[in-house]
Amino acid sequence: MSVVKYFDLYFKLISAGVRAQLQYRFAFVMRIVGLITSYTGTALTMWIMLYQFQELGSWTFYEMLFLFAVAVLSWGFCIILFFHFRGLDTYILNGTFDRFLVRPINPFFHFMAMKFDVASFGQFIFSIGIFILVSFRLQLDWTVGKSLFLLLSVVGGILIQGGLLVMISALAFWTTKSEQFYWVAMFPARNLTNYPLVIYPKAVQWFTAFVIPFGFVNYFPAAVLLEKETPFFPENIGYYSPLVGIVFFSIAYSIWMLGLKRYKSTGS
Amino acid sequence: MFRFRLYWTFTKKAFLRSAVYRFDVWSRLGSNLIFLLMWGSIWTALYAGREEAGGVSFESMLTYIVVSQFLTGVNGAGTPLWEIQEKVRTGDISLELMRPFDVPLRYLFADFGSVAFYILTALLPLYTVMFIFMDLTLPSGWENWVLFIISAFIGFLIRYCIEMSFGLLSFFLVETGGIVDVFYFAMSLLSGSVIPLWFFPGWLETMALYLPFQGIYYIPNAIFIGKISGSEILLSLGVQLFWAAASYLLLRFVWNRASQKVVVQGG
Repeated sequence: MSVVKYFDLYFKLISAGVRAQLQYRFAFVMRIVGLITSYTGTALTMWIMLYQFQELGSWTFYEMLFLFAVAVLSWGFCIILFFHFRGLDTYILNGTFDRFLVRPINPFFHFMAMKFDVASFGQFIFSIGIFILVSFRLQLDWTVGKSLFLLLSVVGGILIQGGLLVMISALAFWTTKSEQFYWVAMFPARNLTNYPLVIYPKAVQWFTAFVIPFGFVNYFPAAVLLEKETPFFPENIGYYSPLVGIVFFSIAYSIWMLGLKRYKSTGS
Repeated sequence: MFRFRLYWTFTKKAFLRSAVYRFDVWSRLGSNLIFLLMWGSIWTALYAGREEAGGVSFESMLTYIVVSQFLTGVNGAGTPLWEIQEKVRTGDISLELMRPFDVPLRYLFADFGSVAFYILTALLPLYTVMFIFMDLTLPSGWENWVLFIISAFIGFLIRYCIEMSFGLLSFFLVETGGIVDVFYFAMSLLSGSVIPLWFFPGWLETMALYLPFQGIYYIPNAIFIGKISGSEILLSLGVQLFWAAASYLLLRFVWNRASQKVVVQGG
């Protein structure tokens, strides 16, 4: 099937999902309100933290907000596309995964298009609000080049975080566990990167730059945009963010496909 | 009449059950450590080489965070809120209502069991090693150890009652998503679990001092590092006891309303 057809199919599949979710309007609104509240909560925590201390590893409050918002924005897209991957173990255990294998389309694509979580609008509203606030406060000068770079690094961020979600889900092919790995590994790791990496021990910084490249989701790109230094790392390393995203996601995809080949239905 | 032996059975069973789900224990410990790394690094960077800030030495502040993370582990080891909400949604909770025990107490005693297992096998060994190898401050005398343990225990009860009351809201609301998020945020911030109350802006500190959350982390942590001492400790314990009683009444009230609602809806 051609790429165009896949696009068409993706929108058909998700529009059904979106319509279904909008049936529960109260639940929908509550989830968005809840998401915005908890992100605002993290922002407020940062504010209180810096109320007495002014700076965290030479990052000021508004700079940290910007860093945070970059992560939240790409995470919002990530939720739409890949968040349900963490639940692959349930599908495998229940035997419902097999239905993705019997249709004449790529199973990875089919699994990806199965769900579309509209609550991620909460992430978009929050992060765009923060971008506007911070741009005024820090008098950021948004040239075409900078905007384009932000856009590309958000794509990089989606691919990196999505890639890790895909890798975690692939673990289910071998261990029949995946959801738990998300909460143990990825959830705390995402929290870690809400703060500038410079504050962590060198080994942790190195790990989040080159092993699980979360540094390229927000820290390195934000440092480029805010013209901040990234000690221990080459200057402007953030420009590689989209490239890192593509490479990391390709690895994740290959692992997933490898797992799929190995997969034998639980049978019943 | 309180039938201690009945509830004690739940404690024992929960302890034994935790031993089966060993992967859970390790994974929980792993994420606890990552968060400890995060908050430890944040406070190290905030102090930025300073010896003291806000009248508290760096060593004490680091101890505060380590103890806080230990207590977070303790408070998170019980039955998760969503599991109870799921029981309400599916109606499984009605099975428990039919049995001759009090549901909130049954979950509390079960939590004692799983928390005890988690403390003994994971938290205590790990944090002991941490206290041996890191420059942290210990309470000055054995009385302070005792007072800390008492305070942490009361904090656990406060947290349990408030969290359970919120969990039971799912009897009345179909979707509790937003409310639960606000609740968890309020708990993590106003309890002083990550930022001690003395670093808050004045108005927020005053607000936090009038709320029950400070009893969960702030008071036990502050007793541990000696920020609260002497007669102040007794006063703080009094405040905690007051909030424990108040939150218990809240739980009883919500529970009575909730269980009636089940009866009204019929089997």
